[in-house]
Amino acid sequence: MILHGKTVKKGQVEGEAIVSQIPFSYLGDLNVETGTVAPVGHDLEGQSIAGKIFVFPTGKGSTVGPYVANMAKKLGNTPAGMICVDVEPVMAMVAIMNDIPMVHKLDQNPLEVISTGDFIKMDATEGTVEIVNKG
Amino acid sequence: MNLTDEQKRMYDGEYGPGFQKAINMLIEYGEVWDAERLVNVHSAHTGLGGGDWLNEILEGVDQIRAFTTTHAGSVGSVQARRAMGVEEKYLQGGEEYEKQMLDLCVPKGFIPASTCTPYLVGNLPTAGRIFSWPGSSGIIISNSIFGARGNRDAMPASMVSAITGLTPDMLLLKKEQRYGEVLFKIEDLDMENLNEADYGAIGYYIGGVAETRNVVVEGIPQNVSFDKLKSFLTPQPVSGAVAVCHIVGVTPEAPTVEEALGHKQPEMIVKIGRKELREGWESLHTAEKNEVEVVSFGCPQLGISEMGKIARLLEGKKIASSVKFVVSTTDQVYILAKRMGYVEIIENAGGIIVTGICVMGFPYAQLETPATTGATNSAKAASYQARRGINIQYGSFEDCVNAAITGKWER
Repeated sequence: MILHGKTVKKGQVEGEAIVSQIPFSYLGDLNVETGTVAPVGHDLEGQSIAGKIFVFPTGKGSTVGPYVANMAKKLGNTPAGMICVDVEPVMAMVAIMNDIPMVHKLDQNPLEVISTGDFIKMDATEGTVEIVNKG
Repeated sequence: MNLTDEQKRMYDGEYGPGFQKAINMLIEYGEVWDAERLVNVHSAHTGLGGGDWLNEILEGVDQIRAFTTTHAGSVGSVQARRAMGVEEKYLQGGEEYEKQMLDLCVPKGFIPASTCTPYLVGNLPTAGRIFSWPGSSGIIISNSIFGARGNRDAMPASMVSAITGLTPDMLLLKKEQRYGEVLFKIEDLDMENLNEADYGAIGYYIGGVAETRNVVVEGIPQNVSFDKLKSFLTPQPVSGAVAVCHIVGVTPEAPTVEEALGHKQPEMIVKIGRKELREGWESLHTAEKNEVEVVSFGCPQLGISEMGKIARLLEGKKIASSVKFVVSTTDQVYILAKRMGYVEIIENAGGIIVTGICVMGFPYAQLETPATTGATNSAKAASYQARRGINIQYGSFEDCVNAAITGKWER
C-alpha cells in the first residue's frame, strides 16, 4: 500500500514502524539517554523509538523540544523518520533542525493503516509512504 | 516561496553560512504550511541553547537582524540556583558555560534579559505586529492581550528569526486563522473578586478542553488586572496547546463575541461555573500532607505589582525555618522592588529572591535538603512539577504566604 502526503522534512528512509495514538513532546516524553518513551501510562511506555519510523497524531508541549531532540540525536536516540496526522510548529522544527525525514497530511489516517512492526519505505521528498509488509 | 531580492542574497550565501542556513530553515518551515513569503519580525526572543548547532547557525553572523531579548536561564541561573540552595556539585562548569554563551551572543546584538516575560522588560510587540518567541506563556500573552501576531515557534525557529529578522507568513500571522473556534461562557462566578489562583485554575480547565484550538472567553471584567490575565492565560498551553485566547472586551481583536469568532458558529460552547473552577483546582492541588517544604512564586517571572503583594503579606512576619521561600523575577523588576523596599521586607522575613531563572523547573531533588512538596500560585509550575513527582499545594499569594509563615498548608 502507498500513502501520499505532504513534506515536512525532505529525505528517504526505511525502517520498522512504531505507532502511538498520543500527541508527543520531546521534552518530557522521550528519555534522551535511552531513546525510550518515558511517561508512565503512555501507550509506548518503555519502548524505544530510536532508529524507527515514528507514527503519531501531532506534537505538543515545550518549545525547547527541537533542542532536546538534538541531544537525543547525538546519542543515536531519535527516530529515523516521522509521520504525523497533522503536524504543529514545534514538531515540524524538530524534524527540520535535526534532519529527520517527515511527512504529514496523508490521504489515509496513518494511525489506522500503519501498525507497530510494519516495514515502511518513506520518500519524504515526494511525500510517499509505502507499507512494504505488514509486520 | 517568493523571496525578495534581499532574501535571495541571503539564500545564495552572500551574507555567509549562518544567514544562509537560517533562511533555508525558515523556507522549509514555511513550506510545511504553504507560506508564500517571509515577513519582517518586529520582535524576537530566543534561548541560547542548542549546543554545537548554535555555533553553526551563528557562523559568519556579525549582527543579528531582529530586536531580540534572551529567554530565562540564559544569564545568572547558576547564581540563582546557588541562592536557592542547590548542591555545588550540580553547578560545576555552569558559570563558564554561561560566560561562553554571552561572549558569543552579546556582541552579535542579543539582549541578555534572561526572562520569560520579555514584555515586562521592553520587548513589547503591539497590536498587529509580528513576533517570534519561544515560551508558551509569552506567546499566548502577546497574541491575546496585546493583539500581536506570532506562532508557537520552537527555540530554533525563534533563533533563525532573530538572525534573519524574518518569519514565514502563516498560521496565526493570518487574520483568518486567528478567529476563535471554541467559546467559553463564564457564568455564576464573581470574577471581580476571584484571586489569581482562581484565574489560573479556570485557565487550566479551559486549556484542557480547547486542546490546540483558538479560544474565545466571555465574562471576564474589562478592568481585570494584568497580573490576573497573566495567571489566566499561562496555563492554557500547559493543559492544552492554546496559542491565542480572545478575551471579549480585552483582546484588541475581540470587541465582541461575534468578531472574535469571525462571525461564524463556534465548534463548541462550554459553560464555566463553580464546578469547572473546582475541577481546575482539584487537578492542580495534588499534595495530601499539610507540611510545607518549599514555596515558590514566579512562573512566569513576577512583575512589580506582584512583588509588592508578597512584600505586604510578609511585612513584620517571619517565614518558618523549615520552609524554603523563593521569589523569581527579572533583573529590572528586582531593581524597582529594591527601590520600593520590597526586597528588604522579603529578605528580612527569610525569603530568597532570584533573577534570570525559571522556577517551573525548580530543583527540588538537587537541594542540599531535597524536597518533595511545593506550594505555588502558578498553575503552570504546579502542573509541570507534579509531572516530575512533586506533591503540589496550589493556592493564592495569601494561601502560600500564610503556609510559609505557619509551616502548615491550610485552606
